[in-house]
Amino acid sequence: MAAFGATVIRAGRRFLSSLPALFGVLVFTFLLMRVLPGDPAVFFASGPNAGNEEIEVIRKQMGLNKPVPEQLMLYLYDVGSGNLGRSMMTGQLVTKDLRERLPASLELTFTALLIALLSAVPLGVLAALRPGSIIDHGVRFFCALGVCVPTFVSGLLLIYVFYYLLGLAPDPTGRVDIFASLPPRRTGFLLIDFLLAGDFDGWWAAFRQLILPALSMALFVVAPLARITRASMLVSLGSDFVRTARSVGLPWWRVVVTYALRNAILPVITIAGIVFSTMLGANVLVEKVFSWPGVASYALDALLSSDYAPVQGFVLLMATVFVIVNLLVDILYGIADPRVTIG
Amino acid sequence: MSVTGSRRLLTVVASIAFSLAAGSVQAQTRSETLRYVTGASVNTLDPNIPGSTREAFAVSLSTYDRLVSFGRKQLNGKWVFDLGKITGELAESYEVSPDGLKMTFRLRKDAKFQDGTPVTAEDVKWSLDRVVTAPVLGKAQLLTGSMTSADQFKVIDPLTIEVTLPKPDKLALPNLATVYPIIINSKVAKAHATADDPWALAWLKENTAGSGAYKIETFKPGEQVIMARNAEWNRGTPDKSAFFKRVIVQSVPEPATRANLVERGDADIVVDLQASDVQSLEAKGKLKVISTPQYNSVTFVSMNNQIPPFDNVNVRRAIAFALPYDDMFKAALFGRGSPLFGATWADGKPTSGAYPIPQPVKLDLEKAKEYLKAAGMPDGFSTTFSFNVGQASTAEPMAALVKESLAKIGIKIDIQKLPDAQMSTQINEKKLPFFTEGIVAWLPSTDYFYRNFYTGNQRWNYSSINNPELAEIAQKARFEPDAAKYEEDGVKLNAIHFSEIPQIPLWQPSQDAVMASSVEGYTYQFHRQVDYRDLNRK
Repeated sequence: MAAFGATVIRAGRRFLSSLPALFGVLVFTFLLMRVLPGDPAVFFASGPNAGNEEIEVIRKQMGLNKPVPEQLMLYLYDVGSGNLGRSMMTGQLVTKDLRERLPASLELTFTALLIALLSAVPLGVLAALRPGSIIDHGVRFFCALGVCVPTFVSGLLLIYVFYYLLGLAPDPTGRVDIFASLPPRRTGFLLIDFLLAGDFDGWWAAFRQLILPALSMALFVVAPLARITRASMLVSLGSDFVRTARSVGLPWWRVVVTYALRNAILPVITIAGIVFSTMLGANVLVEKVFSWPGVASYALDALLSSDYAPVQGFVLLMATVFVIVNLLVDILYGIADPRVTIG
Repeated sequence: MSVTGSRRLLTVVASIAFSLAAGSVQAQTRSETLRYVTGASVNTLDPNIPGSTREAFAVSLSTYDRLVSFGRKQLNGKWVFDLGKITGELAESYEVSPDGLKMTFRLRKDAKFQDGTPVTAEDVKWSLDRVVTAPVLGKAQLLTGSMTSADQFKVIDPLTIEVTLPKPDKLALPNLATVYPIIINSKVAKAHATADDPWALAWLKENTAGSGAYKIETFKPGEQVIMARNAEWNRGTPDKSAFFKRVIVQSVPEPATRANLVERGDADIVVDLQASDVQSLEAKGKLKVISTPQYNSVTFVSMNNQIPPFDNVNVRRAIAFALPYDDMFKAALFGRGSPLFGATWADGKPTSGAYPIPQPVKLDLEKAKEYLKAAGMPDGFSTTFSFNVGQASTAEPMAALVKESLAKIGIKIDIQKLPDAQMSTQINEKKLPFFTEGIVAWLPSTDYFYRNFYTGNQRWNYSSINNPELAEIAQKARFEPDAAKYEEDGVKLNAIHFSEIPQIPLWQPSQDAVMASSVEGYTYQFHRQVDYRDLNRK
């Protein structure tokens, strides 16, 4: 219990020490957006008759008529009071947009990562147990294929086969069938919200909707996870303690799972953390292909139209998520290997 | 144990029965629901808000009424909006005084807002005042119809409103049928107005207070809008409410997915598919494909007439004869549209006073070389050719062909693909020498096109042409009451356009509406969106 308390305190300290980095990210993105060519006011004033007057109105609305340092101060003040500005694109507050879209992205990414881990770890272990065998080559081939095919290609392929040809999957538009009613919003994660509402049909509908995009995302990240598992399993299977364990006649699964895998899992956790953060922010294509209302496609649309507030909000959010995930990875380290502590 | 067991069984049975019932209810309403998918999204419920998208326009047409609306006519067997026929929407009838300075509108007695209160002339005045006074998009639009001040709108009695004009303006009445001059329930709007925001812009952006055919059920910007029919509405033709009980407008960014959805019958209608998908869907013959050339829009290659070498008319002519029109038309649009090249003008005179008309240009490299020599640049020059990312699917193959063809007469092209915001900024600052763009006019009359796209130092004058004669004729034509003289002015304008070649019209792309074979009534509208009120299912 005391050890747990200490971990929490250390984690809190760690989080505080990453605040300056977050602040840096905030200022940097702010300046970067203003340096980029492209005037959002001109873009958004693109009605058939929008002239200079309309452009000025929008500029004022976005606060772009003030000098940059003043804009920065105002922005920092707003962020400090929890306001990330308003998106021109959706017309909503950025905090509201992100709050609605982040659970969608998280749900998708978590599911994809879970699928990836559940398939990559056994595959990696299998490959490591019989290096050079047909299984090992099979795993290598599968991984190469997964990495070679870009996510939007595998996504479109999955849609073509499971929706268009076989009609097994529901139409690939969003998180839930458009004709279905949504559960009351508690967590924003539909799978959880449907369960809490006791609506199992709804849960099943949401699950069916989720499975294809999660699969196409998972396919892409199975490779690094499986390769890392294989490499570190090979090292730990070849080490003295495994030889000792074998020599004393422990059952093979105990040797593999308890002794070898537990020691081999550390680098896999690290990679999983990195993969998670990357998936969350970078899988624009999957979100686009499946019309998934997530944060990544939102940020891309905003970037294309030079909509400053959402891009800044998105980068800040991603930085925060990255900090939290890293922290989580460090805590998991401690659980996997008691010799490691965070500090 | 057995009690809980049977209770559990009961729950399971009940939930199965419930889900079956729900399923049958769903099946019933599906045919009365219209599901429209689009690559864009709806970002505001008030079309007047700066930055509002075309999809937002389409939604506002269903949720709000205007005083008048355009009729429809058949063009080559397809229904299109008719600029010449203006019918009442909230107005039961209207009169234009003989001198053209007064328009009187009599409101329908039975017209009610969605909250049940009657539509009065006060509401109309407040709404029109808002369009010309508040910082909204409609202001610039109504300016093109000589409506600029709240003093021009007068309440005569609770059901009559009068609009006065400083000059007889052909475009005044059509302007009231455009997207912006929506009639708002002024009592509701005023209740949500604040001192900073007297016209309730912030509230109306996320709420509606209209009398239109549909009520908003859910509005998720960037995702979907679901609308339910307003059964009280009777402004449809003839005097009926809209057909569909529910309309779902859903954003599906991936064009291939949109094509799959409509082919599988999960979506009912879509208007923004890729040309290649439209072609294959049409070939399969399962769906209805209605292709209407967007006769109020033009795609062109533009040159900045103020920047060398394009300030030289012979360079512009050389380019006009060096573009591989046919190949571009096939590569970019799969031939889906109406070409604006390859015409023959007898004795070099424009064939009509309309805009745009096919130009007497075609690929002729010898002629292009001669013009280049006349310009004093027989060896050619280097420049850039820009287009925006949003148009990449058509502009990219086009740009490659332009580059290849111009290289043959010594003009070296560097292709620039710019993010949309960057492209509009550079156009506004007049920095791009050579690029492609598309324009659209809601009220497509010759003088309107020339005034907006060929005069003044403003953004829409893409070619930055500064020709006093052209500007003068276009201004004069605006208030020309005599149709024959107007046509004559149009011919003159077209002649100047061809001799100067400030930019090269290429084609009018088709609007390809792909819909389930059961959907009927589709009409091509000036705003290039689907008017959901037009549609029904047989």
